Amino acid sequence: MEKKYLGQRVIRNEDPRILTGRGKYMADITYHNMLHAAFLRSDYPHAKLNSVDISAALEIPGVIAIYTAEDLGDYWHPGPVLVPAPHSIPGITANSRTQIPIVKDIIHHQGEVLAMVVAENRYIAEDALASIYVDSDPLDAVENVEAALKPGSPLVHEELGTNIATYVRQERGNFAECKTKADHVIHQKFIMDRGSAGAMENRGFCANWDEDAQQLTIHCNTQSPSGLRNSMAAWFGIPEQRVRVVVPFVGGGFGPKVMTNQPEEVLCTFASIKLHRPVKWLEDRAENFIGTTAERVQVHDCEIAFNKDGKVLGVRDSFLYDTGAFNPYTATIPLNTQTHTTGMYDIPVFLTEFTSVFTNKMICSPVRGAGRTYGVFVMERMLDMVARKLNVDPAKVREINLIAAEAKFPLETGIIAQDFAQFVLDSGNYPAVLKKAREMIGYEDFKKNQQPKFRAEGRYVGIGLVLFTENTGVGPYEGTKITVGNSGKVFASSIYGTQGQGHFTVFAQIVADQIGCKVEDVIIETGDTDKFAWGTGTFASRGATVLGNAYHHTATLVRAKILATASRLFNVPESELELGDGMVKVADMPDKFIKLGDLATKANPMRGTIKPGTEPGLEATGFYAPPYGATAYGAAAAIMEIDPLSFNIKFHKFIFVDDCGTVINPMILDGQLHGGIQMGVGNAYFEKLVYDENAQLLNGSLMDYLIPRATDMPTKMEIGHLNTPSPLNPLGIKGVGESGTIPIPPLYCQAIEDAFNLPDLFITEVPLSPSIVYSLVEEAKAKK
Amino acid sequence: MSDLIDIKVNVNGQLYERSVEPRMLLSDFIRFELGLGGTHVGCEHGVCGTCTILFDGKPQRSCITFAVLADGHTIETVESLGTPEKMSTLQQAFQEKHGAQCGFCTPGILMTMTAFLKENPHPSEEEIREGIDGNLCRCTGYQNIIEAVKLAAENMDSKS
Amino acid sequence: MEIKGDYTFNGPRPVVWSVLRDVNILATAIPGETTLKPISATEYEGSIKLKIGPVSGVFAGKLTVADEVVPESCTLIIEGKGGAGFAKGTGYIKLTEQPDNKTLMQYTGELGIGGKLASVGQRMIDSVAKSMIKGGLEKLEKEVAQRL
Repeated sequence: MEKKYLGQRVIRNEDPRILTGRGKYMADITYHNMLHAAFLRSDYPHAKLNSVDISAALEIPGVIAIYTAEDLGDYWHPGPVLVPAPHSIPGITANSRTQIPIVKDIIHHQGEVLAMVVAENRYIAEDALASIYVDSDPLDAVENVEAALKPGSPLVHEELGTNIATYVRQERGNFAECKTKADHVIHQKFIMDRGSAGAMENRGFCANWDEDAQQLTIHCNTQSPSGLRNSMAAWFGIPEQRVRVVVPFVGGGFGPKVMTNQPEEVLCTFASIKLHRPVKWLEDRAENFIGTTAERVQVHDCEIAFNKDGKVLGVRDSFLYDTGAFNPYTATIPLNTQTHTTGMYDIPVFLTEFTSVFTNKMICSPVRGAGRTYGVFVMERMLDMVARKLNVDPAKVREINLIAAEAKFPLETGIIAQDFAQFVLDSGNYPAVLKKAREMIGYEDFKKNQQPKFRAEGRYVGIGLVLFTENTGVGPYEGTKITVGNSGKVFASSIYGTQGQGHFTVFAQIVADQIGCKVEDVIIETGDTDKFAWGTGTFASRGATVLGNAYHHTATLVRAKILATASRLFNVPESELELGDGMVKVADMPDKFIKLGDLATKANPMRGTIKPGTEPGLEATGFYAPPYGATAYGAAAAIMEIDPLSFNIKFHKFIFVDDCGTVINPMILDGQLHGGIQMGVGNAYFEKLVYDENAQLLNGSLMDYLIPRATDMPTKMEIGHLNTPSPLNPLGIKGVGESGTIPIPPLYCQAIEDAFNLPDLFITEVPLSPSIVYSLVEEAKAKK
Repeated sequence: MSDLIDIKVNVNGQLYERSVEPRMLLSDFIRFELGLGGTHVGCEHGVCGTCTILFDGKPQRSCITFAVLADGHTIETVESLGTPEKMSTLQQAFQEKHGAQCGFCTPGILMTMTAFLKENPHPSEEEIREGIDGNLCRCTGYQNIIEAVKLAAENMDSKS
Repeated sequence: MEIKGDYTFNGPRPVVWSVLRDVNILATAIPGETTLKPISATEYEGSIKLKIGPVSGVFAGKLTVADEVVPESCTLIIEGKGGAGFAKGTGYIKLTEQPDNKTLMQYTGELGIGGKLASVGQRMIDSVAKSMIKGGLEKLEKEVAQRL
């Protein structure tokens, strides 16, 4: 089987539509009789709702309906748990509270929906919001996770009697015992905050209930079309076969768009069913900051036990996780933290426990990186502490503790992962990634030759090098249907959501290799539940791995049908047939060939018979399910200079090494890493959702919440690759979507410390900012 | 609701006469009155640059411009640059260098860069970086956008 | 947000006090279309139209005067809410007699805000508050001058 496209730099099939403004996004979805929705959201993070007076708003011409909680009747109830608790772990505490579509009595966070206006246009709908009078009494709010656990703290859910949502403890070995045997034990607290997903396109939803056909059609920029279909079917008692979800082009996902049963989804659907008209809502940016889920703070209390030779014996990490006002996603984020903390290091003993805490803030749900970032942050910082304590080079400490290249993969870690199975490292060569990173950044040369010169000149130039793993491509499964059409075009559909990852191209490459056609002749159809009904969704960097292998498997089935059909047609054995250039050829007989489209026509005769026991057409459906996730890994390194006046950062060099197994398309792969790195830069130096002590968001606009701009980024991100194929799937793929994001915050910390070279400058909290680094440096100088 | 105001606007070479509310945003006018969906709206407060159009040849945020202010003026949107079958040199360079991922911010970046390259046909990499600093992109880390603009400048050069 | 400052009026303390405690004058000292009407000797209800950066709206609220020591000091408690958010503040005002028939006013206060006002308008609040106080004090000064 020739691999004409797999691994090649193929330009994207979708680009001509996207680049000319012809691609349709949510804002472009329209019906002639469509109505527009707007939501009145709570200003208070915690309050008792007394009444909502809509009478004045209803008088406004063009307002069609206004709904409050009472109007929903039996449709008012809390949503389902989207991801259950990891009940396979003994001794867990799991208190579940899920989101409600519209507030009835208690407001739990700022931005919660209090009323919905449906109007002839968006302008009128927003006018009406300003005329609704809300009577509510504010209650004391819970903002800080540590304060939330103190006696006497206000409670987010009074009836629970606690703000603890989930508690999970996992231990490999015995940390208490390990501590007594170590030469050194260091104890340190770390705080890491993360922010908004900040997709350039906000959320959008359009519901159209067709009373006559008893069919609900939804357009939404969801990451999980199947999840959305099933959830709306269940909520409104419609068979899921009568719910069609269609996803247009999506302007970025990065996590929150995977959430289903969101208030706006329930309410738009409700309104469409009530009014028998399409109802559409487009979120604006101000709403996105308070109405869309985000990721947020974890507070870690850590200990690391190590010997004087630098070998780490054990790590303890006890952390608090801010889950927000509700926890429908339960523990995916902190479980990811637990599974990524010890990463690619050989650390025999590991005690990890977390307490997920309710606060009066928007729900926390995975954002690109999804919990892995926190684990990598605390581990990399702890290794830097070991390096300082022993006065050893940080890269050397990492080298000492890496899992050996000769280790017998797969390696069990004893820690349960987000898919509730034990986290297993499937394959890898970790020393090789460190070696490559050191070479690419010029580690030794910088330390030995360049840095002394910079220091002599009084310039603050530092180097950082950190390592990470990324568990990707978890189950349960994905599936596809591939059809060779009479036109010769190959239609390959799945239910998967796509948000700019190049799916229209990378999956076409995989299919084209099997079918023997041009990559541009493979039409990838995604996110329409009527085109293909089976699958789960875009999360956990699983597209290339899980769906990629499903496309590969299904394409082999179609290939077999092509060969069998052509074999019958030409009356030659399959072994003498060749596929390529969009046709089937008989080997060594140049005049015996048939175009794929013509073969498809012959395989679906309109009269006569087909061979009993065979199926018509050149079409197959297939699935792929991984046993567990494949683990990608890599390194990030940078030489950065900090301006002593502005504390802005200029990169002298930035490199990233990644091993995601088999590469489908290096151009798209590098693009995924570039974007991931950008989000990591935001997490390190720019992005933080700031709340006051009453859980009131203080920076809910792109003026104050800073997404990295072009001049904030390294001028050149040099990407290096290793290719250790995953043994878990036929194509050997591991995911990459979140890799770029994961290691950047600890990289900044290490390099900034190295630049200033002050004994008392050790960074324990991110995100940083120019003013924070300025203060830390001044404090450290004062201690000197 | 307020009275409607009659405006005449030249958009992509075609003259449109419409009656609009004074508060209608130019972005909404382009998208919903004229049906030109290529102009996307990302923040509605003038920060992200997604909605950038050319207003008498100069880049402008259409989300913080009222449609009535465009009366008697010339607007260019992404639809004026090329078609899927025949993309402009800049658009081709974006495809060649993978300068777009989700494509949502892209129209704004293409319009900003179209004006930029007219003013500065031989930009340095640093000038390009500063030129797109007012446009947010969440997918690409900007590197391939800058590569694409560089390539477009080269290709425009060799064509002329 | 904390508010703190002082201002010297060109007038004796009793006049300054009478101006401060005149609800009609106070209403005009606040920029925008402000209405205030008494509901008791120390409580007032009304509305204020505010614009802070991109956020504007009408806030309905209540002003309470407490701990009044005539003509020396009092505490002002303000609570307001509207379409663009809510505000809650406490201010303490103290008047001290100065030579030449002048009066020093010292004020300290705490203002808590929420909703869109806080999340979107945050960056402008400090400067808007300062300019409102400045404008208000100038109005009060004029009124003091007229009553002399």
